[in-house]
Parts: sequence; structure tokens; C-alpha cells
Amino acid sequence: MIRRYPFTSVIVLLLSAWLSAGMSTAVLAAPDPTEQLRPFVDKILGILTEETLQGEENRGKRRVKVMDVAHERFDFEEMSKRVLGSQWRQLSNSEQGQFVDLFTKLLEHAYIGKIENYSKQKVVFKGQRIKGDRAQVETELVDKEMVLPVSYIMILKGSEWMAYDIVVEGVSLIRNYMEQFREIIRKDGYASLVKQIEDKVHELEANAGKPDTTDLLIDKKRS
Amino acid sequence: MANRLFIYLLFIVCMQGACLLVPAGVTATGAGGGADFLNDDFYDEKGIETREISDPLEPLNRVVFDVNDKMYIWVMEPLASMYSHVVPLDLRGCIDNFFWNLAEPVRFVNTLLQGRFTDAGNVLLRFVINSTGGVYGLGDPAGREFNLSKVVATMGGTFATWGIGDGFYLVVPLHGPSTLRDFTGTVIDGFGMTPYYTWTDDLYVQGAVYTGKATNSLSMHLGEYEKLKDVLFDPYISFRNGYMQLRREKPDFRSSDPD
Repeated sequence: MIRRYPFTSVIVLLLSAWLSAGMSTAVLAAPDPTEQLRPFVDKILGILTEETLQGEENRGKRRVKVMDVAHERFDFEEMSKRVLGSQWRQLSNSEQGQFVDLFTKLLEHAYIGKIENYSKQKVVFKGQRIKGDRAQVETELVDKEMVLPVSYIMILKGSEWMAYDIVVEGVSLIRNYMEQFREIIRKDGYASLVKQIEDKVHELEANAGKPDTTDLLIDKKRS
Repeated sequence: MANRLFIYLLFIVCMQGACLLVPAGVTATGAGGGADFLNDDFYDEKGIETREISDPLEPLNRVVFDVNDKMYIWVMEPLASMYSHVVPLDLRGCIDNFFWNLAEPVRFVNTLLQGRFTDAGNVLLRFVINSTGGVYGLGDPAGREFNLSKVVATMGGTFATWGIGDGFYLVVPLHGPSTLRDFTGTVIDGFGMTPYYTWTDDLYVQGAVYTGKATNSLSMHLGEYEKLKDVLFDPYISFRNGYMQLRREKPDFRSSDPD
């Protein structure tokens, strides 16, 4: 008995080492989408409220910083692939790359540059659903007047959950653009679509610095 | 009254006839549960919904869409903007509550017709509490104190639960995106409100009430429409797609949207 004791303890030791290693790889293999999204959202809100970046003159700087962080959790290639549908497969690699850059620019100016308006709101995580390498993380954007349900649709790449669609109040952003793009491609062809997106980006870029005229309509008591 | 009832019955008969003409494939996606965003079919053109809904009236719909667009920007928004500067937000909230409360009986009937009995109970409780404790529905103590959140139920949703298809996409003047089924439902829900109008037969007064209601609810959402339109390529298609996506998530959302 005495002679066997050290032997058993070695086995126990080895076994426990193997088990804990196995468990830690299991944890690595299935990271939690909400736990990955939460610090990302905090980071973005952090940039928007950072003191050194306040004011109109720092608008461009803020946007660049937000975009840098956005790439950590948003997969713009997966978005582009879906928004183009079958057209994507007909493009060469370099054309695909160009489209990803262009579509990223569009989202940057259409949405990401505008999230500043939401910096005072709170993001509440409501739950998540995982199916294989896909996940849907449900959040709510809350301020004192309204609650806006926003879902992030994510794909697992390696150990990172990457968002490829945003669903606002049940409406998928990518699906909505997809339908618009499909009509343009059907009527005027892919080249025209690229041209139209470029024009839209320029237009949004030009308007970015200007004071928001629609704000004049709105009773200031709201904000 | 008998006259109105006749028109209403005629409307149902016509609508059901029209819905039968629509291929089953189109109607099948109309009702039922929400989309599965985690399924790649959702993003596939050949997937569950090659086209969200049939739109045979597209040229006409586009014209109405443009007219509504201009009406909204040139008439409704300036009106609501002026209104928002005169009437404080709290009061606008009260007025919104008031109109919401007026329509609770219609919602109650619809929840019953849809077999949502718990919701029916909640709607009834809300109506009783808010009409009394909330001073004719100006406040919402049922939501605030009793945690009874707003319930949405429309005739369009009732038709959906009965398995009636959408028919086709329809942009209604001064009303916006709808489908044949939903708009029929809206009209019928409107008839359900007629007891309130018996105090006046004057069409102008009824119109003013309707405009007042619309202006009030718009005054809480000023500027949102332009901002949304700014980033779109084809607003008509975007709104059609958005409407149908919303509808698939919540078949009932139209015209009594809590916001």
C-alpha cells in the first residue's frame, strides 16, 4: 500500500493536469459572445466621452479612433459578402477587396460617425442565442424617453466573435441594404452600384462637419 | 350605421377574394414566427424570401410614396415642429397616452379574436386603471405603478392569425407602408373607434382629431425620417423591405405601435 501511494498521487496529479488543460481549451474553444461584446461597447463609449477628444474640431479624430476599435469586433468582409449576395462570387479578389473598403467607408460615414448622438444612452445586455458558430446578442439602447432593441449577429472566427449584421427593432441592416443593392445591380449593373456608393460616401463626408439642420426642427428640451 | 356595416362587410369580402388570387408562396412568409438571423438562408437571395412580398402596384406605390414623402417634409413636419415648440413634452406624452387609451377597447377585441387571453385581460385592466386613476387616460399608471406594459393588437394581426395572407404591398396616401390585409385591418379598427365620433357628425372635426393625433405622435420623432433617408439608396425599396421585416417579427405592429 505504502509503495503504491506515490504512484497513485502521480496519476491523480497527471489526471488533474490533463483535465484542467482540457477544460481551459474547452473554455478557449467556446468564448462567450456577450462577454466579448461588452468590453467592446464600453471601449467605444469610452472614446466618445474621452475628455481630450471632445468638441467639433476633434470630430475627425474621434471617428478614426472609433473605426480602429470597430475593426476589432465588426467583420466588414462578412458584411460585404452578404450584402452583395450572388454578385460577390462573380467578383475577382481585388474587386472584392475594393468593395469591402468602399462598403466599410459607407458604414463609417452613415452610422459609425453618427453614434456620438448615442453616447449618453445606456446599453443593456438582454441575452444571447448561440447556434454552432453563429450567435445573436440582444441588447437595448436605453435613454429616458425610449428603448431601442438592437441585436448583434456574430460569427465565431478562431476565438473571436465577430459581428456581421445589426438588427434594429427586428430590421436587419444588411438585409435592407442587400435589397436596395440588388435592384441597382439588376437595373444598372454592378459598376453603377459602386459609383452610387462612392457618391453617397462623398455626400455624407461633405455633410459630416455641417451643423445638423434637422436639429433645428427638434425641441431642445428633448436633449 | 347600417350603411357603414355594409361597406365594412363588402370590404372584407373583396379583400378575401383578392387574397385568394395571391400565390400561396407569397402569403406563406407573411405570417408566423420571426426570422432566424443565425441561418445563412436569411441572407441568401434564393433563400426563404426571394422577394419579401409581391408588389404589382409598384409604379403607383412609388408615386404615392413620393407624395407622402413631400407631405411629410413640407406639411406634417413643420406643423409638428411648431407644435413641439408650443406644447411641452410632458403634455405631449399625456396626449399620446390619451389616444392610446381610447383605442384599448379595439385592442381588447383583437386580443380575444387572436386567442391571446392573458393579453386581453391586461388590456382590459389597463383601460380600467388608466381611465380612472389615469384621469381619462392622460396618465399611464397601469404601466408605471402596476407594471402592465402596453399590448399591441390590430385587426391586421388578427387576420394574420386566421391565416389570411398579406395580399400585396400597398403605400397608402397619408398613411404609409401597408399591405392589403393590414390596411383592411386598419380600416376596420377605425370603424371600431366610431362610438367615440358619435358626439360629432362633422367630418372636419373628425379630420382635425385625426390630424391632431398624428401631429402629436410625430412631434416626438422629429428629424428621424430625414436622418434615416440620408443614408439610403432607394428609400422606396428600403421602406418596403423594412416594413416587411418588421411585420415578420411582429405581425401586429402597425398603426398601434407603442412609440
